[in-house]
Amino acid sequence: MNSIHLDKDTIFINELENRLDMNDPVSSWELFSMAFHAEKTTMTPSFKGLRALEFLPHVDFLKHQIASAEQVIEQMNGRAILADEVGLGKTIEAGLILKEYMIRGLVKKALILVPASLVNQWEKELNEKFYIPAVAHRKNMSWEHGNIIISSMDTAKREPHRETILDLDYDFVLVDEAHKLKNHKTKNYAFVRTLKKKYCLLLTATPVQNQLIEIFNLVSILKPGHLGNYDSFLESYGKDRKNMKQDIYLKQLVQKVMVRNTRRETGLNQVKRHIETIWTEFSDEEKDVYQQLENSTGLLPSFSKITFLREFCSSREACYLSLKKMLSEQPELDTFHQITENIEQLPNHKKAEKVVELIQEIGDEKVIIFTEYRATQLYLQWYLQQNGISSVPFRGGFKRGKKDWMRQLFKDHAQVLIATEAGGEGINLQFCNYMINYDLPWNPMRLEQRIGRIHRYGQDKDVHIYNFALKHTVEEHIMKLLYEKINLFEQVIGHLDDILADLSIPDIESELQEIYAESTTPGEAKIKLQNLSAVIKQTHDTNYGEEQKYGN
Amino acid sequence: MVIDDLNHFLKSFFQAHHCSILRDDNGILSVQLTEEMDKALMNRPFYWHYMKKMGHPGEPMRLTLITNPEMRNEQGEWIHFGSPRLQQIIHYLQEQEKYTKLFQQVNPTMNTPLYPWLVTNLKISYKGKYKRDELFSIGLNLINGTMKSDMMETLDKVPLQTTISDFCYTLSPLVKLKSGYLRIESVLDSYIENQEHKWAEDSLRELQSEAELLRHFYIEDTEDKQMEKEIQEITERYQPRITYQVINGGLFYLTSDIA
Repeated sequence: MNSIHLDKDTIFINELENRLDMNDPVSSWELFSMAFHAEKTTMTPSFKGLRALEFLPHVDFLKHQIASAEQVIEQMNGRAILADEVGLGKTIEAGLILKEYMIRGLVKKALILVPASLVNQWEKELNEKFYIPAVAHRKNMSWEHGNIIISSMDTAKREPHRETILDLDYDFVLVDEAHKLKNHKTKNYAFVRTLKKKYCLLLTATPVQNQLIEIFNLVSILKPGHLGNYDSFLESYGKDRKNMKQDIYLKQLVQKVMVRNTRRETGLNQVKRHIETIWTEFSDEEKDVYQQLENSTGLLPSFSKITFLREFCSSREACYLSLKKMLSEQPELDTFHQITENIEQLPNHKKAEKVVELIQEIGDEKVIIFTEYRATQLYLQWYLQQNGISSVPFRGGFKRGKKDWMRQLFKDHAQVLIATEAGGEGINLQFCNYMINYDLPWNPMRLEQRIGRIHRYGQDKDVHIYNFALKHTVEEHIMKLLYEKINLFEQVIGHLDDILADLSIPDIESELQEIYAESTTPGEAKIKLQNLSAVIKQTHDTNYGEEQKYGN
Repeated sequence: MVIDDLNHFLKSFFQAHHCSILRDDNGILSVQLTEEMDKALMNRPFYWHYMKKMGHPGEPMRLTLITNPEMRNEQGEWIHFGSPRLQQIIHYLQEQEKYTKLFQQVNPTMNTPLYPWLVTNLKISYKGKYKRDELFSIGLNLINGTMKSDMMETLDKVPLQTTISDFCYTLSPLVKLKSGYLRIESVLDSYIENQEHKWAEDSLRELQSEAELLRHFYIEDTEDKQMEKEIQEITERYQPRITYQVINGGLFYLTSDIA
């Protein structure tokens, strides 16, 4: 009892005396009693449970979201890594936790750090779904006065903001996309650690992606010492992440600060993915140009060659522009003048024709098309318009307002949204359930992220994914040897990060580029690709045949 | 007793503030706000400022609140326990209705004395790892020192008004308001004293174990500023704390049969 602080109310009785002395107006019985009943209704009579649920009758929470929020509050005491798979509603869980703390009067001042592209979305969601009066930080806004402020990390960590923010005491700090904090030597990391905070949530979809030391770093933001100190941790576990699986003790420790729901456990699989490969073939003219490009070895680094080939599989425009650019720098590469001229003569790209055909088949539904290249994006927009199909573009480089606007245009007016890769992160398009991958990214995780835009919490229809690939080209190799061979979409995708880490492949995209760069013939590249997918498949089957759990 | 009928609650609120009820059926309540209510709820200070400047009386708005979720597609605002509108109304009540002085309404035929009671509605919050509240309504007879719990329930059965009835007179308190309040407080103190505070023990245990982990983390450099900051954070988060907060209260003059 002695160790409990006791704060008494000293104001009330003095104020009551004053008022009665001064004959000030007082409350009627009716209103006086209403104020009492209102208090009785809004107070929190029990330590346990989520009061927020009664306050949010309009939201249908999923079971795992409620369980996660309870776990974070009751067992983790408000400091946790939320590491659900993409699309299971981490934002919802975080909002629920914040709401609960606010209802209980434990959080008044909060700082929410999210990628710049997501600021508006967070603002909208917290306000509309949770009635949390959060505001996005705008120029000249004071950090002292706002209570719940959403900002990008880049703004917050920059002077003069940084200094002001570090002076403030926050009841609650949230960092979205927290895998960017995995390196303890970065400014972001130092900034988040130095923030004065009571409760803290780190949101990430890929927490166990790389090395164990990165988990150590994340955990050390929340609960320094929980995994020991830096030296002792390195000594016991080294930098080799595989230890995680072997060390049950470590796994248990991590589970105390991390919640991870997977699609599989939560039954969110009910919305099915239909994935289909759409094969097309080049016309004869196109084939010739492709051949010319392929035969132009020796003249330029093979790295650029593979880029040109990939671009050509996407659109004439994409390839043409890069070739032009190269020629302006190295005009001596004669053969390429010929190739560019040939490209100019080509009719419409076969894949584009196929896209129109497919969209017409799909009918009136909304469709998202992803492409890797801006030139292709422009071309497709033009080509769809020629065929009477309305579309809007979407790029990562768009300002916040423009992104929101494009999303709205797509929702209300256009049939098709054409996005480049960089635009893929951070918009939610659950109202759409058709996606065309016009060209395949070489990093399957990026494909998964694309799919995550529509196959996520809130999607109630089955999603249809069409992956385009051209026969007899580099696309066919990647499609057949990599994606199909390893059953990527059905099995491996959930573990791909772990598998690649096990195989010490930091970046699959550069791995693939290397394979092509170092192979003298397409045949050689094919064999190497085959080997790679065999290793991936094998690692998957031996290590991940059974679902691995890192949380819960 | 809690608010179980939100529609009724809202209607009483607006009626008590002299707003006329335009519609009340099927969980849809339309009210014509008064100027006071418009200023309190509609969040448009510039409008009222402008009207005043121009010498116009201004036109208070109408407000339609829907308590029946089935009807929420109708024109109006859906209001429920989490909605900002209700929070706003509750906040307004808590700000405005803190103090009172009331008299029991009686129709005596001869001179009747009314006894002074100090009534406090007081919330105790227990905050450690987590938080919970308890609400007490305590009345203290300022003549004979009788103390009553659940005072609001007793008062609910008594007609009360802000003026004194004919043929009634008030007895002046023997116990001063302030010492009366201290008596109530000391009863709560001993109530707290006699509890087992497992929640606080748990919180302290958590506090200690996290602080220990922390020291282990900074094994080489215990003077670290960062560590001080983190110890501070842990303390903030777990330090058990009990708070008394008077929600509202006042002086009540009641007949002798309330005891």
